Amino acid sequence: MGRNKKRDLKRATGNSFRKSSGQILVAEDDRVTLSLLERKLGEWGYEVLKARDGRLAWEMLKKSELRIAILDWMMPGFKGPELCRQLRQLKKPHYTYLILLTSRDSAGDLIEGLKAGADDYMTKPINLMELKARLKTARRIIELEDNLIAARRRLSRLAMTDSLTGVWNRRKFLSLLNEELNRSRREGRFLGLLMMDLDNFKEINDRHGHPAGDAVLKQLAQLIRRNLRKYDRIARYGGDEFILLLPGSDLRETEAVAERLLDLIRRSRFRTGTGRAAVVSVSFGGTAVSPGPEQGVDPKSLIRTADGALYRAKRDGRDRVVVIDHEGEK
Amino acid sequence: MAASDKAELPINKPEALERIGGDESFLQELLTIYREEFEKKYAELEKAVDQKDFQTIREAGHYLKGASSNLSLPALKEAAWKMETAGASNDLQAAREVLHSLKTEYRRLQEFLKSGG
Repeated sequence: MGRNKKRDLKRATGNSFRKSSGQILVAEDDRVTLSLLERKLGEWGYEVLKARDGRLAWEMLKKSELRIAILDWMMPGFKGPELCRQLRQLKKPHYTYLILLTSRDSAGDLIEGLKAGADDYMTKPINLMELKARLKTARRIIELEDNLIAARRRLSRLAMTDSLTGVWNRRKFLSLLNEELNRSRREGRFLGLLMMDLDNFKEINDRHGHPAGDAVLKQLAQLIRRNLRKYDRIARYGGDEFILLLPGSDLRETEAVAERLLDLIRRSRFRTGTGRAAVVSVSFGGTAVSPGPEQGVDPKSLIRTADGALYRAKRDGRDRVVVIDHEGEK
Repeated sequence: MAASDKAELPINKPEALERIGGDESFLQELLTIYREEFEKKYAELEKAVDQKDFQTIREAGHYLKGASSNLSLPALKEAAWKMETAGASNDLQAAREVLHSLKTEYRRLQEFLKSGG
């Protein structure tokens, strides 16, 4: 039995999301009931994982992506309602449908079981036709849950990205900035920030039309993204304004990155969809946070510093990089 | 035991078979498992009654109640339920008596099965 236990635990924990939807955990110490369920569930096309005590059942539930579990009320180790309670507290990303099994049948037990987090409740002797029907309900609810999760993921992705360029949007950037500031402080690292603005966006729009302007922004965003390190961040900050986060970069390195991108953009030709390519000119304003200061850096003031640098770049003739030390300005 | 219980068969075979889709050999398999489990639990119960271990009395009674009910063994289920209750209420006297009726009902089941019932 030791080997079977290990095998079932491995099967429960080492599998993909899709595969686990056909699996069912039966936690039941009574071998007669367990054999009965194993046989029938197998006939109905489920892969049955068995646990004969609450502790093993808990290990399997905790580590796996099991979607349906039938839990006996009375078991050595954890009892059924306790398993329900603990699993619900874990708040796993996927939903596990829990059916409590018991020979108790008072309304009080039913209520206690449901309160503990069970979805359904069956009494022994098990009526198999009833179980089959209830499992169908379980699958329906899991499917609904999966659809909801998928929709939520799509929506949250949409809410974080800029629909035109595919890079992060302004709102997401602000939360990334907070995270990176905290991390830099924790790990004692520099953090570079760059703002970039097109010098001739109006001209591109006027000459090639607005769809061309959109196409240029899209290509520009992708060009920059491809030329950043994996952990650098880029977001569209406004109309033709982009903002970049460079973890680990001090002021000189931030400036160097901007110079390199500026050069790259100068040498690039952007498709406009009109047959004529557009030449793009940009300006960068940058700043960097040094590690060390005990007090936290205000993200807004950091952006203001970079914005001020960008303003100077524009004033000094555009098509250039200006950086200002954030601490130096205080 | 009341007189009406004596008239009852130790196993309601049609009901048990219906539960598992009429598979006679599977029923035999389950009964074999039941036999092994019963003997194990019965030994535990004897020891527990000896040692006044009411928690084990209750748990083993509960265990046998579940197994008996899924195999449609009404008299054994009844006795197992009484055992569980005796354990829950710390009633040693009742536990002793039920131990005896559990054994009697178990023998009755085995004889019934041997006679091809």
